[in-house]
Amino acid sequence: MPSTRTRRGASRGAPMLRLRIGFVVIAMVLSFFGARLVQLQGVDPQSYALRAAAEGAARVTLPAERGDILDRNGVPLADSVKGKMVIADPALTADSAPELARLLSELLSIDYFKALTALEGRNEGSRYEYVARRVPSTLAGDTLAAVEDAGFEGIRLEDDPIRAYPAGDVAANLLGYMGTDEPLGGFERTFDEQLAGVDGEATWQSNSGKGVRIPLRESTLKAARNGEALRTTIDRDLQWFTQKVLAQSVRQYRAESGSAVVMDTRTGEILALADVPTFDANEPTEAASPDDLGSRAMSDTYEPGSVAKVLTAASLIDAGKAFPRQRFKVPPNLARQDRVIGDWFDHGNIRLTLAGIIAKSSNIGTVLAADAFTPVQLVDYLNRFGLGQRTNIGVRGETAGILTPGEAMTSQTKDRVAFGQSLSVNVVQMAAAVNTIANGGVRVSPSVVSGTAVTDDGVTVGTDVATRTRVVSKQAARGTAKMMEKVVDPEDGVAPRAQVPGYLVAGKTGTAQRVDGDCGCYDGSTSVSFGGFAPADDARFTVYVVVHAPSVDGGGGSIAGPVFSRIMGYVLGRYGVEPTGGTPSRLPVEW
Amino acid sequence: MSSPALQPRTRVTRIAQEAVDRARLTVVPRVRTRAPRVPFVTLVSLVLVGGIVGLLLFNTSMQQASFTASSLETQADTLAAREQTLRMELDELRDPQRVATQAQQMGMVIPSAPVFLDLESGTTSGVPTPATRENAIQLQPPAPIKPANLAPAPIVVEVPAVPTVEEQAAATAAEQATGAQDGRTKQRKNRNR
Repeated sequence: MPSTRTRRGASRGAPMLRLRIGFVVIAMVLSFFGARLVQLQGVDPQSYALRAAAEGAARVTLPAERGDILDRNGVPLADSVKGKMVIADPALTADSAPELARLLSELLSIDYFKALTALEGRNEGSRYEYVARRVPSTLAGDTLAAVEDAGFEGIRLEDDPIRAYPAGDVAANLLGYMGTDEPLGGFERTFDEQLAGVDGEATWQSNSGKGVRIPLRESTLKAARNGEALRTTIDRDLQWFTQKVLAQSVRQYRAESGSAVVMDTRTGEILALADVPTFDANEPTEAASPDDLGSRAMSDTYEPGSVAKVLTAASLIDAGKAFPRQRFKVPPNLARQDRVIGDWFDHGNIRLTLAGIIAKSSNIGTVLAADAFTPVQLVDYLNRFGLGQRTNIGVRGETAGILTPGEAMTSQTKDRVAFGQSLSVNVVQMAAAVNTIANGGVRVSPSVVSGTAVTDDGVTVGTDVATRTRVVSKQAARGTAKMMEKVVDPEDGVAPRAQVPGYLVAGKTGTAQRVDGDCGCYDGSTSVSFGGFAPADDARFTVYVVVHAPSVDGGGGSIAGPVFSRIMGYVLGRYGVEPTGGTPSRLPVEW
Repeated sequence: MSSPALQPRTRVTRIAQEAVDRARLTVVPRVRTRAPRVPFVTLVSLVLVGGIVGLLLFNTSMQQASFTASSLETQADTLAAREQTLRMELDELRDPQRVATQAQQMGMVIPSAPVFLDLESGTTSGVPTPATRENAIQLQPPAPIKPANLAPAPIVVEVPAVPTVEEQAAATAAEQATGAQDGRTKQRKNRNR
């Protein structure tokens, strides 16, 4: 055995030498590895890690779909559609820009010169230009295919969700609108947290960026959480009708603006809240004035005028200080300390009942009746009707209106407040106040959001948090409604044109002087309004219409009355409310 | 070591014992059990080749599935986009403005007050009111009236052609019939613009 071992060893050289050479080789190789390791891990490990991850890694943001804004029947007022933005790399497109611009402008229906500018690059060395934004996915896909078929390069698509308002200007003042990337007004902004959702993200390893996943390689998926829909109490078709009828009157009487509210008497749900002039929510930049973008009904204050007389009358009856048949001697004018109060119509000494005062809308009569109240008592009632405080229905920029506290109110101011001047309101406040009488004396807080939603101020709004408070007794409300029926009486009232054929209608006109904000004085223009409900003996809907600064001479009965009648007739038919067949009010107006 | 007398005897026995032991040691005949190597090598090779081929096939099929998944995803995206586009078109068709415009073109008018018909008793409730053209609501604001210099009168150029006698006669007749009418139409068009 030893002899064999020696022989074998001799054939392969000395074992020790081999071992040493082997060690040296191994040591050299290992030292190279070691050096490389130090270089990779010690010098700048992050950049290599990033490069490794970027190599073949695909990372995609999964955009969350924005929640729809729905009407009360679930019809979308605003919805989100997947869209694409078409992006050009001018380094690749500049050479064939004119041909490509022609193709793109034809396919995408965009301006040729804008496309040309984008394709040539707006700045030197630009590599990223928007050619078109918010293109529907199918159109964008077809366009890209056509561009590639034609042999052009440098056009690609990226996700760009489209916010669409299918009915254009319907309820636009409430909905608001979207900017390029963020909501800029209305519900879109107020309820953005609920609507927006949270974007997700997916990463995976792909083969040379072709988008095909390499199986069994690391991949992560964080699903997007879509935004939740916001359901409103608006009825889209009714809202559209209300806007059209109101717009027609505003045009016809060359008025500055107008607002109208339709309210469900029993639930306080706002079925329509129209503002004129309005804008197309799809094209907010084309609005005639930036003031048109908000809701004037909520943000503009005005003096309600005679419509407030019904609140005074209902309060007086509730307090037991007046009754509908109470007799008043109404003089031609009434001197009150430094001011003289007059009526809208010339008359001598006339003898009116309280019902007659409402039917003929006499300021003097109202002041005489309200003498039974101290300022504190009157203001207390008006506060409970909801004047002087925000309705907090979730519309941005709402004004609280102005109602002087009773303690600070002079008797002259009280006289004017009794017939609706020297106090200011917003449209929904006033509609809710009139609705209180329609609803048998119980004020239901108005709401425009179905269920609940939280505004960006952290206020919870909606029908679920609506409150009911008794303001006046049922008898007082009934009595007031009976008096209001006289307003639309063809013989005794001032607003026969507010009648809805076949129905008992109760309402009240208002023609108020308007305050000019700059001079702090009445500028001679008027706000004409009409608020009422039907059927008068079992009210289902309250409609309140106000038209600001008409250029044609007219009052609440002749301008706002017909609008009221038209809207009320439509809503009664739409909701299938049959005439009650009740007996009309037989209250005397004179004695 | 207790007594020296005993020592020689024990040594002898020990040596003898050792000798006996040594004598018993024999070289075991070397048995070469030659296990057949071929089946083992074949098995290992088969397992190896099978494993590699299997892995390859598995990988290929995974890759294939990945391509399929990818193309199906694209298809799903396309279909979803198509669905959304169709929904958008539907929404546009359901736009109350469009519906109302079409209805009004067909001569329909929204009545100013409803009337209910009870099918059982055959009676109506409500006051029937005629829905006339005046009840129709304005769907579009009227076009603004342009100042005269923005809507100039059309320039009419008489083409001096020399028609044949027959044609001339026919043209004159036609002109006489429609001449006045043409003038009116032109005027109206102009005003509309």
